[in-house]
Amino acid sequence: MKKSILSLAILLIAVVGFAQTTSKLISSKTHVKFFSTTPAEDIEANNTATVSTINTETGDVVFSIPMQGFEFEKALMQKHFNSNKFLDTKGFPKAKFTGKITNLSSVNFNKDGSYDASVEGELTIKGKTQNIKENGTVTVKGKTIEVDSKFNLTLVDYGIAFKDGKPSTNIAKTVEVTIKAEYAP
Amino acid sequence: MNKSKILRFIVFAGIAGVVIGGGVFLYMFFMPHRDVQATKADFTFTGSQIVSEYLADANAANEKYLSADGDSKILEISGEVSKLSEDYDGQKVVLLKGKNDKAGVSATFTPETNKNLKGVIVGQSITVKGVIRSGASYDEDLELYENVILEKSDLIRINK
Repeated sequence: MKKSILSLAILLIAVVGFAQTTSKLISSKTHVKFFSTTPAEDIEANNTATVSTINTETGDVVFSIPMQGFEFEKALMQKHFNSNKFLDTKGFPKAKFTGKITNLSSVNFNKDGSYDASVEGELTIKGKTQNIKENGTVTVKGKTIEVDSKFNLTLVDYGIAFKDGKPSTNIAKTVEVTIKAEYAP
Repeated sequence: MNKSKILRFIVFAGIAGVVIGGGVFLYMFFMPHRDVQATKADFTFTGSQIVSEYLADANAANEKYLSADGDSKILEISGEVSKLSEDYDGQKVVLLKGKNDKAGVSATFTPETNKNLKGVIVGQSITVKGVIRSGASYDEDLELYENVILEKSDLIRINK
């Protein structure tokens, strides 16, 4: 009897320990895209160097985005983007999102499928933090989890403003952000 | 100087101005991205060295390695391959990380340089060259150490 209680206890500790170590998943396979459209031109920048974590127990989601990893088609645009007039990526090398899935009960991480998720949290770009509330999709396929989201950002909220010259006509005031991350155990 | 000579000079100067101005504009507009692999490395060291430099003082390291226009320092880094993977664009990613290091150096290759990693396996010591995008640090929200990130990388040599 004592033996069976002991083995049950060990089993329980092992299960709990296992659950704790696997509830937080890490992704370095990510894609973050900025898209700006104006009558003058469309501008796109892509970043595949972002790191993200998702906690399937608590719904916590974190993205850490290295700003110099955004690549533009035109070299001059990339230089502008990085410069201290725009994103000042030397002064603020990383942007960050920390948030929570607010409808965690409707996402089943243990069952294959595609789930609509609401995410609420803080986005920090160029040292300025704003609360955001966006929708995304969580796709569970075996042991792999993929998160997708598309939302709009108003640049002036993060202190990015263009008063005159070419940028003010060629860069949209609100840009579309697409986020994708694949978490594997 | 008579009138026609002055006129000729003005017309010539005008044309020269348009040609030079147009040339500068076209150059700016079509300015190519810096060719990282054709550029000499600014620093050569081991992955452990740059990681410990960043963990000791990230601000000083950013000041030293990052450039304001995004064309940051080009690094040649040696270390042990601890992981090989692929990103969403099909670019190969090599993680160089010492066994006792808290963070490593993650080097993303390009569609052109991917093939040079053929035959490279985990455990090998290799040297890569690429441009630094961000440094190593502990992130308390992620609850993990972030790696130094290099992009536009290529394999320089296999050391053993």
